[in-house]
Amino acid sequence: MQTSNDIVLSVENLQVHFHGEGPVAKAVDGIDYQIRGQQTVCIVGESGCGKTVTALAVMGLLPQPPAQIAAGAIYFRGQSLLEMSPAELRAVRGRGIAMVFQEPMTSLNPVFTIGDQISEMIRTHEPVSASDAARRVLQLLDDVGIPDPARRIKDYPHQLSGGQRQRVMIAMALACEPDLIIADEPTTALDVTVQAQILKLLRDLQARKKMAIQYITHDLGVVAAIADQVYVMYAGVIAEQGTTDHIFKNAAHPYTRALLAALPTRNKRGLRLYSIPGSVPHPAYKPKGCPFHPRCELRQPSCMEDFPQLCDFGKGHLVRCPITFADRGAGKQRLT
Amino acid sequence: MNETQAPILAVENLKKYFPVRQGFFKREQAPVRAVDGVDLSIWPRHTLGLVGESGCGKTTVARLILRLLDPDSGIIRFNGQEISLLDEQRFKPLRKQIQMIFQDPYSSLNPRMTVAQSIAEGVRIAGIRENTAQRRRIEQLLSMVGMPKASADRYPHEFSGGQRQRVGIARALSVAPRLILCDEPISALDVSIQAQIINLLKDLQQELGLSYLFISHDLNVVSYICDHVCVMYRGQIMESAPAAEIFENPQHPYTLKLLAAAPNAELVGKAESIPPLATNPAAAQSPCSFAPQCPEFAPACAHEPPALRVVAPGHFVRCLPKAG
Repeated sequence: MQTSNDIVLSVENLQVHFHGEGPVAKAVDGIDYQIRGQQTVCIVGESGCGKTVTALAVMGLLPQPPAQIAAGAIYFRGQSLLEMSPAELRAVRGRGIAMVFQEPMTSLNPVFTIGDQISEMIRTHEPVSASDAARRVLQLLDDVGIPDPARRIKDYPHQLSGGQRQRVMIAMALACEPDLIIADEPTTALDVTVQAQILKLLRDLQARKKMAIQYITHDLGVVAAIADQVYVMYAGVIAEQGTTDHIFKNAAHPYTRALLAALPTRNKRGLRLYSIPGSVPHPAYKPKGCPFHPRCELRQPSCMEDFPQLCDFGKGHLVRCPITFADRGAGKQRLT
Repeated sequence: MNETQAPILAVENLKKYFPVRQGFFKREQAPVRAVDGVDLSIWPRHTLGLVGESGCGKTTVARLILRLLDPDSGIIRFNGQEISLLDEQRFKPLRKQIQMIFQDPYSSLNPRMTVAQSIAEGVRIAGIRENTAQRRRIEQLLSMVGMPKASADRYPHEFSGGQRQRVGIARALSVAPRLILCDEPISALDVSIQAQIINLLKDLQQELGLSYLFISHDLNVVSYICDHVCVMYRGQIMESAPAAEIFENPQHPYTLKLLAAAPNAELVGKAESIPPLATNPAAAQSPCSFAPQCPEFAPACAHEPPALRVVAPGHFVRCLPKAG
């Protein structure tokens, strides 16, 4: 077991509310997670489950209002991010934590060359000369596998392919050697072969630069490929957390198990896919009790009343479902 | 494969090049070979998967079949009838039998029309003109795709992505088609919704005897839903085989690369086997479009054009046989 000072990021009981017309939308409704040095933590969930809002809250990028951090704390290397002044936060962003977004074309500025954009990142945080910055940009582009960086440095974003743009985004995130990279669906817009290259690149860079990665995705296949630790989110709360093996070989929460059963694979040819009835609830209109209960096969009367607590399955495998916990204790297996 | 039946759709040597004009005088450059000699057959009540990365020409194939684009050359036979040369007026009755489901259910429905109005256009074209009969048919179509009757008078923005895709399917079914071209029908949907739509498509195929062309970049989905799979790269079919065969016995280096790259939740921690990106300088002039990236590039590949060759019954691959 590692010591607690190895913890890079610690999020405690984070609650993010959005105020608009109608009831308050509780997009993130009390989540806790920790990321240790050099760990890859995957936050997996469907659209609207609050995974991106969590990342934006950590980065201090939520527009407030309409968003409001209603409760909770976020610690980066022991410092409370929520209590920092905007200037202090700017110093952490980029140097301490950097983010890679889903759509590189909308995250890059179309009227500046990629070299300008990466060196701006370096020169904002460090007192280096333009020529030193340019040298580092070349090295970074080389690190992320852009061929012929000396020529590419003068390219504009539109001259690059989608995969290359995402490499540039990663180079920019790496520019100040952060301790933590938050990657929000960085490969969702890319082809599978390019996705495989980017995932491999992230893994290689992580080993070389000793970074932690918080990886946000909806794709369980990607999770299986890269994660050390997995958090499954549903309707603003963590439904299940554990190591990758816990989640894929020993999933306990009915939602996680339904997601795995719903994945089309060739081993299920000829079988009917399990399909989860209904759809994800709107964050402003979440059902009472367990947020998953309207779609759950194991639903008990108590699920409609009481918000479920996290049950400890041992070795860090936590599941927010007392029904499954009681079943496992009694040796029963009800879901297929 | 059922030899006694004819394919419902047969495409032979289909080509579509898009001209590229560049520079001050808009001089014509080498064209983009979006579809470069594609052959495929879809058998009645079967699902043919067309797999490839973005830009490989798979959507262009669908648009050519529907005659939304005119092919440069090649033959498209629907139900035995050659349709690539028909003019718009003579093709119109046939288009009722071929419908399409689009990727993005948010942009493929008119936001200013209710669900009933969107579907009614098809119902009218199918020959149902009387109001109450139309309404009955719309409600029947909605219940076929698992939507409540009450949804008929609502607008697309009131629905989730999965529900909109159901409306898109109901609209496609409104003219009683026999072949549906599904262009990435689930890739814009959430994981828990994808399974609902896949099951719906399979149920409808059973009930109505539909045939599908299923276009996707996701090998997991294709391996689950399709009977036969064609792998496309830069406008050409690189490998074509029954679904089980292509996943158990893949032959083309590109198919192998796709299979290795596809993230698979059943393979925890085994993602290290991605083949490295090859760069073959000798391949620039090669007649094989995959040669520059091919990890199995051989000297013969530099000049000899690869033709589709048979490796097993129903299994074709566009790659030179390995020496020795």
